[in-house]
Amino acid sequence: MKLVNGFKSVLAGKPDQSVIYLPDPETVGVSVMDIPYIRPKILVKENDPVKTGTPLFCDKRNLRIQYVSPATGTVRKIIFGERRRLKEIVILLQGKEDFIRFETLTPEAVDTIQKPDLVRLLQEGGLWPCFRQFPFKDTADPDLEPPMIIVSLNGNDPFSPHPAAVLENEFPAFEFGLRVLGKLTRRIVVSSRQSSLDRLNGVKNHVTHQVPDLYPAWDPGVVLYRLKTTVEENRSWCISAEHLILVGKFLLTGTYPVKRVFTVTRPGDQKPHIIARQGSPVKTLAGRFPDKSLITTGRFNGRPVDPDSHLGFFDTTLNILPDNSEEELFGFIRPGISKPSVSRTFLSSLFKTPKELDCNLHGEERACVNCGYCARICPVDLEPSFIIKALLSDDIEDALSFGLLDCCRCGLCTYACPSKIELTHLLDSGITAYYKDKQ
Amino acid sequence: MSSLKKRFESTQKHFSGSGKLKVLGPLFEAIKTVFFLPSPRTRHQPFVRDSLDLKRFMSFVLLSLLPVLFFGIYNTGLQAGLAGGKTYTVSQAFLTGLTYVLPILIVTYAVGFFWEILFAFVRGHEISEGLLVTGLLFPLTLPPTIPLWQVALGISFGVVVGKELFGGTGRNVLNPALTGRAFLFFSYPLTMSGNVWIAGKASVDGVSGATALAVTAPQGQSITAALTDSGFTLSNLFFGFVPGSIGETSALCCLLGAAFLILTRVANFRVIIGGIAGLVLTALVISFIPGDGGSWMKAGPLYHLCAGGFLFGITFMATDPVSGPGTDPARWIFGFLIGFLTVTIRVANPAFVEGAMLSILFMNVFAPLLDHMVMKYKVSKRIPNV
Repeated sequence: MKLVNGFKSVLAGKPDQSVIYLPDPETVGVSVMDIPYIRPKILVKENDPVKTGTPLFCDKRNLRIQYVSPATGTVRKIIFGERRRLKEIVILLQGKEDFIRFETLTPEAVDTIQKPDLVRLLQEGGLWPCFRQFPFKDTADPDLEPPMIIVSLNGNDPFSPHPAAVLENEFPAFEFGLRVLGKLTRRIVVSSRQSSLDRLNGVKNHVTHQVPDLYPAWDPGVVLYRLKTTVEENRSWCISAEHLILVGKFLLTGTYPVKRVFTVTRPGDQKPHIIARQGSPVKTLAGRFPDKSLITTGRFNGRPVDPDSHLGFFDTTLNILPDNSEEELFGFIRPGISKPSVSRTFLSSLFKTPKELDCNLHGEERACVNCGYCARICPVDLEPSFIIKALLSDDIEDALSFGLLDCCRCGLCTYACPSKIELTHLLDSGITAYYKDKQ
Repeated sequence: MSSLKKRFESTQKHFSGSGKLKVLGPLFEAIKTVFFLPSPRTRHQPFVRDSLDLKRFMSFVLLSLLPVLFFGIYNTGLQAGLAGGKTYTVSQAFLTGLTYVLPILIVTYAVGFFWEILFAFVRGHEISEGLLVTGLLFPLTLPPTIPLWQVALGISFGVVVGKELFGGTGRNVLNPALTGRAFLFFSYPLTMSGNVWIAGKASVDGVSGATALAVTAPQGQSITAALTDSGFTLSNLFFGFVPGSIGETSALCCLLGAAFLILTRVANFRVIIGGIAGLVLTALVISFIPGDGGSWMKAGPLYHLCAGGFLFGITFMATDPVSGPGTDPARWIFGFLIGFLTVTIRVANPAFVEGAMLSILFMNVFAPLLDHMVMKYKVSKRIPNV
């Protein structure tokens, strides 16, 4: 697959390819913050005992879609945020791990199982949310047959876990998962970054599409944009490779799989891949970090996380971004030998050295001057400045026809904007408003 | 550096909150951010941002204008010397030029910033960087002999009517600097056309102060020969040792600025290349039309390119992203039509010897329409997703 637009700078802090195992933490959490559009209905009370696999909350939009506990113990706390919106449910690990047992599926039985039974099994086991549906990237609608399911081997961040680390020892589960997908759709697309391929060995044969090593070429939204030929394909689904492994493992063993692979990136440091329990506390994964740093689950398209909170179901990486808010003398005219920029206005554009990114704006918000930097970098050929102008003037029809829903919210337009306009935030708000309008 | 910072921090209280000088808050912020680039934390996704900001973006336009500015000052002095029958050294010419250009520059920035600050204060927003560029572009389009009160009037019209009435930076339809110049051109034609292009000329008789574009050949002579006779050889026009607006005379300096803007990607190369292509093609085609050999019709593309203000306009005025189109195909068309219209006005309209200003302003008005058509086309190529 070809792609010319994307983030071309080399980034510092690439994680080490080795793997370490973390012991079980004291508490784990199930976060709601990374689940799209959910209206949670809580199924447990504080101090309730839970097993691994006990449903904690479900989605009011479809009560059969459940989210389950990734550990055995008691519900320690149910944390609410603004407007009493559920933020996360914290579970204190106690006693020996006790699993809720679900039906298992043998590789031979895959061909005979009916789709509704498969869906029910995945919903009960808390793994249905692995499937996400375009264009809103909402939890997939089980009643639909998607025209295509895109399996993405790479995560949301440039330094998300390497697929080789995720797939290590899990190859049978992955292959089994692919067979399960065959029950849900006619077309399965497996995409991988070119740079990931050489360590993939056997999985390589399953990769149907290679994408260039250019963020966000491996984002399923971008893959879909490049592949789709009909309007129907806008309703395709996507699933990440590690979630597909979870699905495969769950169906093979009949228990909820709890181990996940994480990466942590921080300035000037290479950290190995970490295998830990789902929902581990941010603090134990992040380790020590400088004061005032911002911790996110994806520097371009993640969410900021509190050090005291727990990682969500979809989070696989933590970026620790330093805060360099120290104001610089004559910053607007310095040569900038080490400043990261997609423009050519810094000397750094002449060198290919890895650049450090911090969590600062590097300027102040100004009016849009129509410079076209956002359109130049957009991986799905949008004109973000035109779309936000349509959105700001409440012209949703224009915004949609310009391709608003093709936006994969990769954040690059906002990254590049010299006027520091919150383009991604505006686009995301526009998409969310349209979604709510349709409900 | 840290003492300067302390100084800002200690005076900040007077300009914010309940300070006595709270009214001047935007001015204080503007001055402070010139010295210290602010860099607050990101609040929304993505959490990392590019190092380029609008201040630097605009500063690079100023940098690209420096060759034009310095040569313009030098040439103003040089032409004044020639008109007075003297040959100045480089430094003499530069200093003489400075006595004409500096007052124009100072008046432009003073009056321009007055309006900018007034509007920033009334609207309660930050002072935008756009005026730095407008304030340097505007004087460069004027003849050195222009009265200073007209300079003040012109920049006022450019900033207030050309920009602020539309809502300020980012919302103006027309290029503010050119709007100001057009206002002066039509309101005070006596000081903006004819023999006004040489500073200090009044003292000597017998030297024409007209620009190359005003030259027409007598019966039987070709336009190029007539231009050479008047001192407008192609090399003079290219290097810029001719009378004209302060900044427009040197094609070389404009090309240097264009190269800098294109290499740093501050200006969009499509406008510049498209414009030059439009001018060259149109001039070529028109030169094959049979007709009077003594008019600019027969001058050919090179003379059209180097004479007048076209290169200055296409490099610094047409590439203004706000008043130009926002899509790439529209930028090509926009540039091409500016080149086409410039030549057309020059050869076909006896009322205006120069067409660059009018063609850019005209295309500014059409830029949204070009964008509209390009977006329509792009939408038709997309797979609908609603």
